[in-house]
Amino acid sequence: MTAPLLAEFADPDSLRVALDRVGHDGHRAIEAFTPYPIEGLDVPLGIGPSRIRLAMLVGGLAVAAFAFALQYYSAVFAYPINSGGRPLNSWPVFLLVPFEVGIFSAALAGILAFLWSCRLPRLHDPLFAIPGFERATQDRFFLLATADNNDDATLALRHLLEEAGALVVTEVRQP
Amino acid sequence: MPSLKELPVGMRLATALTSRREALRLLAAGIAAGLAGCSKPNEEIVPYVRVPEGLVPGDPLKFATTLPLSGYGRGVIVTAIDGRPIKVEGNPRHPASLGATDVFSEADVLSLYDPDRSRTVLKDGDIASWDQFLRALQSQRRRWTERQGEGLRLLTGRVTSPTLARQIDDLRKQFPKALWHSYASIDDEASQVGASLAYGRPLDSVPRLDRADIILTLDADPIGHGPDQIRNARGFASHRAPQAAFSRLYAVEAAPTLTGAKADHRLALHPSLMTEAALAVANALGAGLRDAAVPQEAARFLKQAADDLSAHHGAALVLGGRSLPPAAQALVHWINARLSAPVDLIEPVARNGRSLADLVSDCAAGAVDALVIVGANPAYDAPVDLDVTKNFARVPFRLHVGLYADETSGLANWHIPQAHPLEAWSDLRAIDGTASIVQPLIRPLYGARTDHEVLSTLSGGADAKPYDLVRETWNATGKPEAGADFETWWKRALHDGIVADSAAKPVAGLAPQLPPIGPSPQAGADGAIAIVLRPDPCLWDGSFGNNAWLQECPKPLTKQVWGNALALGADDAKRLTLTTGDVVTVSSGTRRIDVPVSVEPGLPKGVAHLSLGLGRRKAGAIGNGIGANAYALRTAAAPWVIADATLKPAGRREDILTTQNVVRTPDDVRELYPLKELSRLKGGQSASPAPVLPSLLPQRPRPDDGYAWAMVIDASVCIGCNACVVACQSENNVPVVGPEEVALGRDMHWLRIDVYDHGTPAAPQPGFQPVPCMQCEHAPCEPVCPVAASVHDGEGLNVQVYNRCIGTRFCEANCPYKVRRFNFRGYSDGEEYANLGLESYRAQKNPEVTVRARGVMEKCTYCVQRISAARRTAEREDRSIGPDEVRTACQNACPTRAISFGDLHQPASAINALKRDPRHYALLEHLGTRPRTTYLADVRNPAPGFDEDRA
Amino acid sequence: MAVLEHVSPPPHRWIAAERASDVEVTQAVADPIFAPVGRAWWIAFAATIPFVLWLVVTIVWIFYRGIGIWGVNSTVVWGFAIANYVWWIGIGNAGTLISAMLLLTRQRWRASINRFAEAMTLFAVAIAGIMPIIHLGRPLYFYWLAPYPNTMTLWPQWRSALVWDFWSILSYLLFSILFWYISLVPDLATMRDRAVTRGGQVLYGMFALGWQGSARQWRRLETVHTTMAALGVPLVCSVHSIVGLDFAASLMPGWAESIFPPYFVVGAMYSGFGMVVLLAVAFRWGLRLEAIITRNHFEVMGKVLLMASIVMGYSYASEWFMAWYGGRHVDRDLTAFLFTGSYAPLYWGQLFCNVLAPQALWFRAVRRSLPALVVISILINVGMGLERILIVWNTLSHAYMPSLWHVFKMTFWDWSILIAPLGLFAFMFLLFVRLVPSIAMYDVRRLTHEEHAS
Repeated sequence: MTAPLLAEFADPDSLRVALDRVGHDGHRAIEAFTPYPIEGLDVPLGIGPSRIRLAMLVGGLAVAAFAFALQYYSAVFAYPINSGGRPLNSWPVFLLVPFEVGIFSAALAGILAFLWSCRLPRLHDPLFAIPGFERATQDRFFLLATADNNDDATLALRHLLEEAGALVVTEVRQP
Repeated sequence: MPSLKELPVGMRLATALTSRREALRLLAAGIAAGLAGCSKPNEEIVPYVRVPEGLVPGDPLKFATTLPLSGYGRGVIVTAIDGRPIKVEGNPRHPASLGATDVFSEADVLSLYDPDRSRTVLKDGDIASWDQFLRALQSQRRRWTERQGEGLRLLTGRVTSPTLARQIDDLRKQFPKALWHSYASIDDEASQVGASLAYGRPLDSVPRLDRADIILTLDADPIGHGPDQIRNARGFASHRAPQAAFSRLYAVEAAPTLTGAKADHRLALHPSLMTEAALAVANALGAGLRDAAVPQEAARFLKQAADDLSAHHGAALVLGGRSLPPAAQALVHWINARLSAPVDLIEPVARNGRSLADLVSDCAAGAVDALVIVGANPAYDAPVDLDVTKNFARVPFRLHVGLYADETSGLANWHIPQAHPLEAWSDLRAIDGTASIVQPLIRPLYGARTDHEVLSTLSGGADAKPYDLVRETWNATGKPEAGADFETWWKRALHDGIVADSAAKPVAGLAPQLPPIGPSPQAGADGAIAIVLRPDPCLWDGSFGNNAWLQECPKPLTKQVWGNALALGADDAKRLTLTTGDVVTVSSGTRRIDVPVSVEPGLPKGVAHLSLGLGRRKAGAIGNGIGANAYALRTAAAPWVIADATLKPAGRREDILTTQNVVRTPDDVRELYPLKELSRLKGGQSASPAPVLPSLLPQRPRPDDGYAWAMVIDASVCIGCNACVVACQSENNVPVVGPEEVALGRDMHWLRIDVYDHGTPAAPQPGFQPVPCMQCEHAPCEPVCPVAASVHDGEGLNVQVYNRCIGTRFCEANCPYKVRRFNFRGYSDGEEYANLGLESYRAQKNPEVTVRARGVMEKCTYCVQRISAARRTAEREDRSIGPDEVRTACQNACPTRAISFGDLHQPASAINALKRDPRHYALLEHLGTRPRTTYLADVRNPAPGFDEDRA
Repeated sequence: MAVLEHVSPPPHRWIAAERASDVEVTQAVADPIFAPVGRAWWIAFAATIPFVLWLVVTIVWIFYRGIGIWGVNSTVVWGFAIANYVWWIGIGNAGTLISAMLLLTRQRWRASINRFAEAMTLFAVAIAGIMPIIHLGRPLYFYWLAPYPNTMTLWPQWRSALVWDFWSILSYLLFSILFWYISLVPDLATMRDRAVTRGGQVLYGMFALGWQGSARQWRRLETVHTTMAALGVPLVCSVHSIVGLDFAASLMPGWAESIFPPYFVVGAMYSGFGMVVLLAVAFRWGLRLEAIITRNHFEVMGKVLLMASIVMGYSYASEWFMAWYGGRHVDRDLTAFLFTGSYAPLYWGQLFCNVLAPQALWFRAVRRSLPALVVISILINVGMGLERILIVWNTLSHAYMPSLWHVFKMTFWDWSILIAPLGLFAFMFLLFVRLVPSIAMYDVRRLTHEEHAS
């Protein structure tokens, strides 16, 4: 088993080129790290759609429903009072609170789903140990790729990356 | 324990005269009295509805007694809980109460607990003891006995008490050369003299407004405040029923009064022309005297009135005010006789001594060496030209007996605290002569003494009990019906609150003669302002000066509180370039006072109005320095009109404090206070039921289990007297906020009386509309409360849950009627105004009603505590509450029965009929709030084709 | 000394620098935070302290003496607590609205302003949240608005607009925090990686949650961020609509108007944008960001203000029309009272600030002149302040019962609660710029690349 390689690029375009060739030559691109979102990396990296939106929908609706149920219960069963001759179940105005809390909880659900799907928070990661990787959040573009498990392939991948314009290529060894 | 500041004003402790130990002992005594205060008197007093043996702690007991106003009695029934009087209500059997009250009797219960009341005997302003006084008196009495009382003078207020009269006679028997003077600042001397002019002897007139179809008042205010207000107002109201007889009221007056407000025709006339007015009417009825010099418009008015009067012979009545000169009074007597008017002439009810003027001149001459002042305050309310202060100072021995260590006690070298009527044994006569007993509900709080004790001490009676003194009187004069002994008679008198058939019999078979009429008055100096002086509608003659309820009670026509103002017509104000709030220096001769001006409608040209009773110097923590003292302008010769006053701007301004506005914006007046004319009302069909406004909500049916409380207020008989306002305050522990808060626009009255003016600035036509909570069935205040502190109960009450309220004030913001009141400060919760936080006042609080904390909204509850009391009784007796069993405090107080309250679900209850009345309407009905409190429109009865004052 | 030398006329529309490399952008935004604090900042910070103390004293005094220390009275039972609440919520709305709406409408230039606009939201809503509590007569019981099991077995009264407020503020505040934070994570990672001290690394590292900028993370972040933006717009609108309902759900003349909710929302965006302009000018100058916040930014914001001012003018006009058309004399009297009554001068001032003055923005020169924009923005915020208090005063002072028409008399404590919070607002912002990158760096990086590509 050989360690995956991390290649550092100066600009997004060379990253894209490298990515294409990695796929073309039968190697496997694991992940790309960029200082800002770059279109068109997901397909080669095989990043599928997420279920975050679904989670938000469910979370929002559930809490909204609970909020309405709470109002209905308290106003109709727990504490039925004549308030200005309004019906006990004044549903039109009971819709406001569910709407507000519903949206908030949808957002909360979305954030949780996001963290979960990105496996965050994760304060330590072997990549952080690699010198120069800190520029991934500033101005450098990294590609993490791996070859089939024999050293020639790995060598070929390293050449490929360097030709694609990688400034540095480092082996990432599991600690 | 009382601290120094609670002791009478100007007192110094521990002087040569009083040893320190003694002072402390007295203080202790005072405290003891204060604490032991809340206990029944020693003698047996008879409860109104049940015997005290059955006293259950916390259960209210009701006692009948009598409260004085300017010496005349008004019967009341006082509620006491655990020996603490907390509420005054009317005594239905008493002719001067008829079950209703006025502001003064309602507020008396607060004065009882006033911590500023005088607490100890004073010698030259220092604490002294009763024994010291007795010692001092011994030497005096020796001299009196030697000289048969020469140089001894007694000064009292108006005396109607048979016992007091008897004691005065005794005193004068003992000291033949002693003299008795009496002085009441609100007197009716002119009418006495007038009666003498007409009939050869002084007589009192007792008008019967309930039998009068046509009434003409000449500067008289029969339904205004005074000892006879309730009886007159009831009489007037009972004859203003659109369905039945409906009187017509012509008012000629020099300054606006409640009578003028309710009048069908009102004429503002210069006071100097009042005699001419009387003359004009007399001539129209065939007196054949010299022509009356009245302006043409006034002549028309008086002609119309006179025609109307003579057209209703036997049911027409003319009333002359106390300010009318004797000749005019005599003319009024003649006219009434001519019309055989419904007015009883009776022997004077009050016993009068010699005049104050005589006393003062004698003092000046040095002929007086002992002066005893009982229950009067001449140093404050005597005409200034008598210069009481200077002249009394010449008298070596000066004794003052009074409720307060007031202005007069400052002149005296001995002061004795007087017992409050609610803690005294005595007796009084009403204005129609009816006698009634004054029985104490509580032992004197501050070891005070009644007038009777003091007088018997003067005449050597060693500490006689007032109880015995009063019984003696009636033992001699009271006439037990056949077979009954005195004890039964006495018990009945106490129980009923009146002495059976003691009313004065009308003097019959009198023929008045016309008085000599002087020359017609020539116009006064141009630019001079005639100032009309009237007793204050809230503070009367000033004796209530330290009563916070009355100080903060809005004056009926101006809504002013905490002070008085010089009311001035718009024209005169323009001429003198004055606006409301400008302070002017009013000067007449050498006399001058500073007072803020208030521009008011309805005053004749060249006439201003100022009320007496304010500007007290030594009233107490509440009343000191509030308002301007009109007595300082008053002379013995002209007590009611300052003819030649001049106004000079003092170059500063003063806020006229009011709790609300008089509504004069035509649209609002028309919408909120419809005014109907009797002639147009005839054949009015019953009111259509309130239209159910379209709504998206399902219409909640009124819960038909239990009760549905509702209130109807008849605006046509409401006279704006404020009795309901103060009654509500006293029943519901409504706090006083004080002038500073009022200036910010805050007040706490749960019930206010709105004034709507249908007239013009020249000829106002105000109408009164008491506004309690409307108890809306669709209450706007309820859905907006986030914590459900404002909710509806099953009986239709819009209830406020005080301990749930967090004070968002959304309810008041959304209340179209603005009837909710917020405790912006701890008005009854540690931040009371002035001395209102002191212990003694707590005794007055109604234990049935929560005292509200700071930050809480409060409101009228239809006296829910009375409803639940009635419910408890009903449940005990296993029945439902009767149709009109529950009576709210405001309803009970109302002299004219304008307020009706009851259960809509019981056909028998009175309000159901009223709700079908053609005049019935709800405030702001179009908002769909469906109020439970509704109104009957005001009705006026102008003479057909005669509307001079609706220009 | 700015890293990015800005040149004018700007070579690109949204970036006023010839070449802005990623590292330059990063330095321009991040370095001021690591750099030692400048004198200007210290002076500004010191200036805000007295206001913060003043606010603290005011609130303590209100709790101690009760709201009686304000000018509120039996008729005008509401005062500045309510007006401030509406005003601050209004400011608060703009932040999220701007950044969410612009994100959805793909307005690339938002990159330069959305971060501090959102921060503005947080601080403003936080301040707004104080007001309803100190407004209460018994503030210690404010939590009775919340449904919680209690021994009184009582519940909130859900039909009250104040309960809606309670939930909408709460939801909105928390939502805004999440929305703000989620877009902050990548920049926090940048800070972590640029931090020189251990402390800085640990602090930023913790809040960066271990962000690596992987394509997956970017993808997911975009998903959640845009979705939240889509939810944020209706939320913002509903929040201020509910504030509008506080008045519209009553039956008082001048309040019970169906136009209130939309007109409150526009008003909110209006004052909010005004505030954003002011802050943008301050940032641009204080942090030397002339290259990132260009005059073009100000010009488009100027256009938004102009549009809003026209809508406000329309709303006022429709109020007057409806009062007349409705035919109730109460409404007509009230409208007359607006122009001639006790508060007339203030009302005229409001019309000038909100409707008249912003018309100057028709001119391009004005839109591009910062001083002019600053003046107009200040006028707008004053005008909106006037509008808020006058909505409360006019109706309450002049409603159905002429007998109880009263005027509001301002006390010192009214002034305090009106002015002191501004100091707290500035105070929080000054701390903000010292701790967090006040510009969304990753967005600007993308923006520069696109700009240079174009």
